[in-house]
Order: sequence, then structure tokens, then C-alpha cells
Amino acid sequence: MKKVFKNIALYIGILSTIFASSCKPEIEGLQTSPGQADFSKYIAVGNSLTAGFADGGLYLEGQKVAFPNLIAEQLQQVGNTNFRSPFFSENERNGSGYIQLQALVDGQPIMENVTDNLAYRAEGKLSKYTEDIENLGVPGMRLDLSTQAWFGGLNMYFERLLPDADVGTKTYVQFATEKNHTFFSFWLGNNDVLGNAMNGAVTNPGDPTTVLTETATFEQVYRSFIEALTTNDRKGVVATIPDVTAIPFFTTVTRAALIAAVKAESGQDVQDIYIETGTGIPRAASDNDLFVLPFASAGLLGNTSTENPFPYGLHPNNPVESKYVLDSDEVTAIQARVKAFNSIIKDIAEEKSLALADAHAYLNRVKNPGIVYNGVAINASFITGNAFSLDGVHLTPMGNALIANLFIEAINKQYRSRIPKVDASKYRGVKFP
Amino acid sequence: MQIKRLILGLLLASPAAVWAQGSQVNTQSQKAVGMAGAGSALFVDETSIFYNPGAVAKMDHNAVSIGASAVMYRAAFREFNSNDVHHTKFKISPPFSAFATFGPQNSWWKAGLGIYTPFGGSVDWGDQWPGRYELNHLQMRAIYIQPTLSFKLTENFGIGGGFVYNVGMVDLSRSIPTASADGTPGRAELSGVGTGMGFNVGVHYNLEDDFAISLSYRSQVITKLKDGDAQFTVPPALAASFPNTTFDAELPLPSSFNVGVTFPAGERVDIAADATFIGYSVYRELVFDYKDNTPVLEDTKQIKNYENAFSVKTGLNVEASEKLDLRAGVGYVYTPVRGPYVSPETPDNNRIMGSVGFTYDINDRWDLTGAYVFQHLLERTVTSANTGLSGAYKTNIHAPGISLTYKW
Repeated sequence: MKKVFKNIALYIGILSTIFASSCKPEIEGLQTSPGQADFSKYIAVGNSLTAGFADGGLYLEGQKVAFPNLIAEQLQQVGNTNFRSPFFSENERNGSGYIQLQALVDGQPIMENVTDNLAYRAEGKLSKYTEDIENLGVPGMRLDLSTQAWFGGLNMYFERLLPDADVGTKTYVQFATEKNHTFFSFWLGNNDVLGNAMNGAVTNPGDPTTVLTETATFEQVYRSFIEALTTNDRKGVVATIPDVTAIPFFTTVTRAALIAAVKAESGQDVQDIYIETGTGIPRAASDNDLFVLPFASAGLLGNTSTENPFPYGLHPNNPVESKYVLDSDEVTAIQARVKAFNSIIKDIAEEKSLALADAHAYLNRVKNPGIVYNGVAINASFITGNAFSLDGVHLTPMGNALIANLFIEAINKQYRSRIPKVDASKYRGVKFP
Repeated sequence: MQIKRLILGLLLASPAAVWAQGSQVNTQSQKAVGMAGAGSALFVDETSIFYNPGAVAKMDHNAVSIGASAVMYRAAFREFNSNDVHHTKFKISPPFSAFATFGPQNSWWKAGLGIYTPFGGSVDWGDQWPGRYELNHLQMRAIYIQPTLSFKLTENFGIGGGFVYNVGMVDLSRSIPTASADGTPGRAELSGVGTGMGFNVGVHYNLEDDFAISLSYRSQVITKLKDGDAQFTVPPALAASFPNTTFDAELPLPSSFNVGVTFPAGERVDIAADATFIGYSVYRELVFDYKDNTPVLEDTKQIKNYENAFSVKTGLNVEASEKLDLRAGVGYVYTPVRGPYVSPETPDNNRIMGSVGFTYDINDRWDLTGAYVFQHLLERTVTSANTGLSGAYKTNIHAPGISLTYKW
């Protein structure tokens, strides 16, 4: 009997050991490693996407989840020490101002402007931020204008980052290449296409931001910019330019939606929407003509005036103006330009052994067939697709996290590094009231 | 006429719901638990109502027993290419069982009643892990109520059967990807009670007191859940799209066929071994039928495609003294869940089991049985076909338990 109790004591001892050691299962973590790259000083070169622009504005919440900031957070595990951004202060957290959803009425979004806690020091001038930064994203920055010093006086987001003496005298290329970086991300060129496309492929006279950049200019500037960033064998990641038809800005307001709206509001059985094409000739719109998102709220359709008694957009004599439409020929031309730009980007990336994040391919996959990320449906639908913010061009926090993962994947592949991925399900899509 | 605004036809994806068996840990008899689940041929007592109704008539007495376990289900998840390991919250789920036999002494028949919980579990990942849009928490329990009759056809051959009535309860929640003004996601909470019916039959044959064999079959029990509660917490602008409503669902609990043998390995030592074939392939899909559908809230169908599963268990029973029996056992369970259909509600995989247990005869009337089983589910890296969630799961289950028997 004594022996039995002795054994029981032994069993209890063994049991408690098993219990204590195996109570919580342990899974081995990812062995992080920088691979062949040096991430100690990472800079992000780019436009609004790099800056964290969203919902039609640059504001603190968006800045904090800009994809380079999410990448930098992961890079901390492989040697990055300090990634600073030109954050707006808490008092000026709404930055440039932005739009938010005020209500959904019968499935139709009503937007409102956020106008408090803005960061303007004067009209068209934002509060300066001239301390050292690593997120160098400038909303509206174009490749063709990155070599133009006067652009610092024209673009308020760039002006904000420059000491007064540098405004109008320093180019973006100079600004971005004097940071002593060890690693860079470079996503520029989108606006060289978008600036023109978002204006219905109309170049406004005297407005350099609506120009469609020539392929030769693109190649020359891209090459010299990358040359400057890669001196001393420095490494980086570049990204391709998305297809214009992959973003809700161009795919939400369709011919069918316009016709349905006319029918719903007037009871008229309308067959056609008339548009002014890029060549100036009016014709009935087809499903391959893309209307820009702001046309939805412009309130023009069906309007008549004393000068033109025909209903706007519903009669060949009063067609939808060209600036609101990318007609099918313009779509084809812009897609061809994007393709040319992307092949330049890919060639230079390969030449310089840079990592390549193929945002063009990725966003096309988001558009069709769409992706399911950890149980969340992600697609290019306006508002409900979870990837694009309320301006239909820029990303939601969740979209930023997915793009950060695309970049991380590309870096890991190119430099045999092991940077852990971002848990994108932590980040939101569009906010609902 | 002026067309001011366009109808954009906003569509969100329906929240698909989950409801699985939970992680099965059989705890109906603490004696069997002490042998990792083996012993259907060895133990002829009131718990045979569950393990083999054919053995009940062989009891030379009547008995009532109650037992309970504290199942601690600890799972961990690491998303593919991530460094963050997420653990389920510490939860104890208490499966219980109660058995009673009735009948004349030394007769050719016996009746019995069993109330037990063959399926169930509790897993709580919280709302801060990468799979939050698939599952926050799931609590599920199937309670089987089984009146039973057992007959001795000869001294050595018993046959018996019982009718099974199941009351199943489920309670689960998950996040919905609809951010509110402060950025927090929405939430769906589903709960309900369902019922189903089935049966349990078995034959038990023994040669003297030495060798015995047990064959038993428990039918599948299709549990129908009607008018469960579906509650949605979403931003006000989306409330009309996610009405609080009710839902119907159907869950087939699988059949199982069990073969057990036992034989002596010494004066005071018995060996028992059991093999169980579990008909999980009935679980093809899970359909949720919401009463009020909206363009957003549609009925959902989730593919499960379970396979049949198999388990083997063996154990030793040592009569350490007049009053004390000691036990130990090991077992292996093949999972019914294929890789792409592994989900956080039961991140299942093949599992190994080890157990120890004892029965202490307090006196002629009272027995106290205790057991402890540890199950380790092997690490499994999967990509979910339903949600795309990709990563590695690993699970440990601890289940200490105790039961008290009164005999007359």
C-alpha cells in the first residue's frame, strides 16, 4: 500500500511536469533576417500613396498607416531603427481636410467634408514640417516634375517639407537623394498617367499636372532617379503603375448606372448617354467608356440651360463633357502608356537587381476575380471593396497593409530576406457612419 | 429634370457562419479516460450504456454514477510569414455525464439511462487575431439523452440498444469587416438550440473472466437547429442591411463503429484495446439559412468535406490493491478534416493521447474514479479554402476528470 501511494506521488509529479510544460502549445516563430539588404535607414520615395493620402486628403490617421510606415514597422525586426514621417500634429490632425461618409441613403453614399482641425497656415499653404524624415512621399508628385525645382512652389505638400530657402530651388530628386539611405522604396509615375486620366484625358492649358508624360521623358527621368538612389550598390524596391481601369474612380459610374439613375429619378426610358469624345465628336456612350467618379455628384446629368435647351448627357447636342469621360480610345491609349512605363520599370529593376512589387498585376487581381484575405472579401468596388478609400483612387488602411505585404514579398524574394508580413486584418476598410 | 445622385448598389459580403463539432474528447467514463479511451470490452458497468449497451445486462448490480471533466483546450496559431503567435484564451469546458441502471438482480435484462456530452468544446480566439473575420469564439455542446435496454442472451453474450435524443447548443461570434466611425469592426453573434435523434446498439461477448470482445455502433444524429438568434453589431448606416434575425442550420453528428477487446496480461493486469471508425464523411457542408435575407445578408454555404476518421487506443488496468486500480493508456486519432477545410473553430489534426487514471473503492457502495488525459494535436500548416487564412495551428488539450459511483 505504501508503495502505491509512493507511486501516486510520482505520477502526480510527472503529471504536473507535463501540465506545466505543455499547457500552452508553442509554435516556433519566423526566423527573421535582413538577407542581403541593409535596412538600417529606409527611405520611401513616392507620391500620395507613399504619403498615406486617403479619402481625398492627407490627414494624420492616413499618414500613420501609409504602406511605407507599415513596412518600416516590420523592418524594425530586421535592423531598421528610425523611420520618421511628416505627421500632422494632433491639433492639425485633419491635415488638408478629407471626405467622409455622412450617410447611406438607399445604398447611395452621401459624403461630407471634414473641415475642422486642418493644417493650413495660409490659404493653399500647409504647416511646415522641415525636420528629418524618411517617408518622403509627396501627394501629387510626378516623375516628370521631380526634376523641376519650381514644382516645390506649386505643390503645397512638397512646399510643406521644404525650408523656405529651398522652395522653388530644390527638385524632388535632390530632396530624395540626399538622405544617406541604405534602402529605398520607389513608387512614382502613377500621376504621370493619372493626372491626365482623371481629367478625362484632357490636358488643361497651363496645368502641368494634367499632362500625359511622354515615354521617353519617363524613361530618362526614371533611370537617372534610380541611378542616384542606387549609388554605392544601395538596394531598394520599385513598383509598377496600376491600370486605370483597376480603380473605382473610373469603374463606379458606368453607363448602365447613369441610365438607371435617369429612369429612377425621371421615369423616362432613356436608351443612351451622350458623351463628347477626346476628338470632340459627340456619340452615344458604350460600356467601354469610363466616367470619372466626381461626375456622380456633379449634378449635371439632365440639366438644361437657356443657352442649351437639350438635357445634359441625354442628347447629342449637349453631351457629357470630355473631362468627365475616358472614352474607349482614350482608355486604350492610356493603358498602352501604362504598359510602356511598366516595361521600363521592370527593365530598370532587373538591370539594377532591385525588388519589384508588381502593383499593376496585383490590383488587376483585386479587380478581377477579387481576393479573399483572412475571410474579408477585397475587390475594386467603391466603398464596399475594402481596398480603396472614398476618393476611389487611394487606399484604405487595409489596402495599404495589403500593398505593404506586396512590397515585403518582393523584397524577401529579391534579397533573400525574411521580413514578417503585416496582419492586414488589423486595419480597416471604409468607415461607415 | 436633374439627376443629382447615382444609386451605386452597395454590396457587402455575407458573413458566413461556422459551427463544427468542436473538439471531441470522449469523457463519458473516467475509467476509459484513464486508458486513453480504450476499455469498451473491459469495463462492464453503468457507463457501458454509452460504450456498449450490450454489456449493461452483464452487471451483477445496479449503479448510478456522475462524472465531469475539465477540458482545457489550448490552441495556438501563427500566420504564415508572420512572427506573431496567437493563443486561444484559457477556457475550461465542462463535459459531464450521468448514468443509471435499473433492473432485478442477476436477471437476464437491465434497463438504463445515460445523459452525456459526446461532442462539444469551447474555443475563444478573441477579436484581435488574424482570423477574427472567420471566428471570435465558439461554444458548442451536444447533450445526448439515452434510455437503454440490455439483454443477456447467454451467460457470455449480451446485446443491447438505446434511443438517443440530442439537445445541441451553439454560441459563436465573429467580426464583420464594416468599420464604424472609430474604426472598429462589426460583429455577428449567433446562438441557438437544436435537437436530433439516433440510436446506440452493441453486443458484448466474454470467455470466462479472461477475454472479452465488444462491438458497438452509434448512429449519426442529424441535429436541426431552428430559429437560432442572429445578432449583428454594425454601424447605424448599415443596420438595415444586417437586421437582427433568426436562422436555421443543420449539423450532422457522425456515426461511429467501435471494436474493443480485452485480455489479461498477468494476475492483476488487464490490457484493453479499442478501434473506432467515425463516419465524419456525412459532414459535407454547413448551410445557414437566415430568415430575413438582405442583399448583404444572404444564406451561406460553407464547404466542409470531412473524411471518415479512425482512432486506436490501448491501455493497461492494474489492480494495485484490493481497493485501488491504476490505469494508463495511449492512443492515436486520425483527423477527419482535410487541410484546406481546417478552421479555427476546430483547428484539427492527427492527435496523440496519453492518459493515467485510478479507481478507488471507498467501500462496497461507493467508488471514486479519476483520470487525466492529455491530447496533443500535431502542428499543421494550412490555407483555408473558405477564408484564405494561412498559417500553422498547434493544439494541446488537457482533460482531468472525476466520477463518483454508487452501487446497490
